[in-house]
Amino acid sequence: MHHSDLYLLRETYNQKGLILSFNGPFSQGLIEEIGIALRKHLQSDAVSSSAASDVFAAYIELTQNIRNYAKRHEAEDDPGATVVIGRDESGHHILLAGNVVEIADGERLQTRVQELSAMDKTQLKAAYKEQLRRPREDRESGGGLGLIDIARKASAPLSCALTPVNSGNRLFFSLKVVI
Amino acid sequence: MEKTTMHEIRLNATQSTPSVVAIPLSSTSKIGLLEMRGDSYPENSFEFFSPIFGWVEEFLKRSEEWEDAALRVELHLLYLNTSSVKAMMDIFDLLEEAFADGKGVCVTWYYDEDNERIAELAEEFKEDCSFPFEINRVS
Repeated sequence: MHHSDLYLLRETYNQKGLILSFNGPFSQGLIEEIGIALRKHLQSDAVSSSAASDVFAAYIELTQNIRNYAKRHEAEDDPGATVVIGRDESGHHILLAGNVVEIADGERLQTRVQELSAMDKTQLKAAYKEQLRRPREDRESGGGLGLIDIARKASAPLSCALTPVNSGNRLFFSLKVVI
Repeated sequence: MEKTTMHEIRLNATQSTPSVVAIPLSSTSKIGLLEMRGDSYPENSFEFFSPIFGWVEEFLKRSEEWEDAALRVELHLLYLNTSSVKAMMDIFDLLEEAFADGKGVCVTWYYDEDNERIAELAEEFKEDCSFPFEINRVS
């Protein structure tokens, strides 16, 4: 790391309107601590209470989804998550969250995101209620409910990207949410 | 109360879990109260809600032996993650079943006027419930 790296980071933060960023392994405790900071920031940033609730909710679902995935896969070299939250010129909050996943999981997630992004609010509500009624696949996750919830709160369709990592053995899945 | 005494649940709130009070309101009236206040987004909602679900289940089961037994649920919840939503739905399903069996159950969900989102969530829960379910704005 050099002084120029810090300056470059600062420039990126400013240009992209970043509020908060995180990279690395994380725990429920860290999710909560960062969540407190995020809520405080949203309160002081003249954001409507509904927008603040939606940004916080999306942050919690994104990070807990990644945490649940890591726990299910017990990756020895868990690289954790990369999360950035910013605000664009029009005042919308943007959340991007990514983690390294198995190729099949990444492709399945991409298909799901594409399905959800094609749905309107009524269809998303129906999908949410249907998912709510499904038996838990495992007892630690909301069973795919989180993704639908995020899609319902978003003001634009969700988008995602897959980038090969580890010499193409795994994928970095990243999800973009506009509130 | 008869020899069948219900246990109580009293939990303090944490950053990510609500405070919980689950008690038989009095030894004579046979009315139970379940009250929850705060945020709910624990890492493992199923684990957190399990004892609460168990208490409601037991209260409703035992109330078969008691005439005029009723369960009142008072919620001052502010934010729920989706796994908490699922856990709450399981509790509401228990209430729905009890109500269909002719038991007295009711839910009142209090929300702050600045928290429209939780009111919307409460409304969605209410859509699937036929027992008395009130959503009250507190200013």
